[in-house]
Amino acid sequence: MKLKDWILERFPIDFQKFVEINERIFIKEPIPLHMKKWFYCMGATPLILFGFQLVTGILLTFYFVPSPEMAYESVRHITEDVRFGFWIRGIHRWGSNLMIIALLLHMTRVFFTRAYQKPREINWMIGVALFMLTLTFAFTGYSLTYNQLSYWATTVGTNMIREVPLVGEWLFLFLRGGEDVSANTLTRFYTIHIGFLPPILILLIALHILILRIQGVSEPEGYPKGHYSFYPHHFYKIIIATLFLLTLLTTLSVIYPPGLGEPANPAVTPPHIKPEWYFFPVYRFLKLVPLRVGIFSVALFLVGMTFWPFIEPWIAREKRRRIVLGYVVGSLVLISTLALTFWETVEM
Amino acid sequence: MAEKESRQSRRDFLQVFTRGAPLGLALFGAAAVFVRNVLAYLFPERKVKKYHRYLVAREGEIPLGQAKRLIIGGKPVFVVHLEDGYKVFSGICTHLGCIVRWEKEKERFYCPCHKGVFNKRGEVVSGPPPEPLVPFRVERESGLVFMYVEEKIKGPWS
Repeated sequence: MKLKDWILERFPIDFQKFVEINERIFIKEPIPLHMKKWFYCMGATPLILFGFQLVTGILLTFYFVPSPEMAYESVRHITEDVRFGFWIRGIHRWGSNLMIIALLLHMTRVFFTRAYQKPREINWMIGVALFMLTLTFAFTGYSLTYNQLSYWATTVGTNMIREVPLVGEWLFLFLRGGEDVSANTLTRFYTIHIGFLPPILILLIALHILILRIQGVSEPEGYPKGHYSFYPHHFYKIIIATLFLLTLLTTLSVIYPPGLGEPANPAVTPPHIKPEWYFFPVYRFLKLVPLRVGIFSVALFLVGMTFWPFIEPWIAREKRRRIVLGYVVGSLVLISTLALTFWETVEM
Repeated sequence: MAEKESRQSRRDFLQVFTRGAPLGLALFGAAAVFVRNVLAYLFPERKVKKYHRYLVAREGEIPLGQAKRLIIGGKPVFVVHLEDGYKVFSGICTHLGCIVRWEKEKERFYCPCHKGVFNKRGEVVSGPPPEPLVPFRVERESGLVFMYVEEKIKGPWS
């Protein structure tokens, strides 16, 4: 206990109180009974995956060089030469995909268990922001590999941003750092990917969890009331999930190692270009309608999703009708998203 | 009372931890492998130096005490025949990088830039050069003289 005394002399806090607070906040955090079911307790999955993304992302910056001449070559070097490079990059690449899947599942679960209702509207909105930031993460990260597909995805993606009303042109020039996708674009995407987004995401995650903790986990109807403490049951669950995800990511990286593709060639657009799968619904939708209409609809959809906890009671006052509305709208969005994704997947 | 309670909970904590031992072990194992792999990732593999072997002379071709000039990889080298065998020196002056020339009669290397003089063993005799001429490893095999030149592949990662 000498070390403890040494530290306490320099940080004279009430240790007993510290232990009590720690116990109350972490060890004995009351978890509602329904969360003993795996189905309800996977909100931490995106967080665990984000942790892996942070670690592997920092490791990737040790070798990655964000310049048109070196980006592709340095990704190749990481994947093919550096010891365990394919593994680190594999975890990062698969981790980003799994993180989006985990978020989609988490959001679907939250929506259909109506956990966004008053008083949890703000946390739903923060969640939507986290989802959109994660997609920005994925888009900027994808373009860094600088192969044909990622180069043209960057070109098309930034061109689409140009169509956004009012700020589009300005945002377009800001992101590209000029008229064309160039060295400026690459360094900007890199800075956004490793400098801007991580602290914002960490801050919002902290806020998301803080609000969750203050309000307590929402309890779906039809489950026995009661609580158990965070430690050990839920703590073990998180460790099991962490180990499972690490194993899954490693397995995926070994079976499907991250690819390189063709080096980017600004002079030739490849015949079949597609974004990553999570942009399929938007991509397919944009093929169906004029670009302006498409962009406007997507923006409207995002606004609607963000403010849904306020829109829903505004449309339907009565509780029963509100529940029906929620289920109908949720199901329609889910079905149309899956349908658009499927359509884009099967059609070359 | 409060102390007693906290002690109780500490015992609980430990008990629960023993029950969770397999999980803890798995976590520890995973962390250990992870850290080991990350260290391997961070520290690039040490490359074993590779050498190219060049045939530079036939024995008897160079008279004793004399030298022969060659160009290897765009840079001049000198093969010198000495009493105790053959030596190969880089022709680049160790002072400021000019190219030395072999003076046959005086059996020495002379650098025209700042009058640096090296003897036939490559040692500095006079002038400003701080170090002897850079030697290369030499091997004799069935009447042939070979020199070894380190392979330096120019690439962004070496």
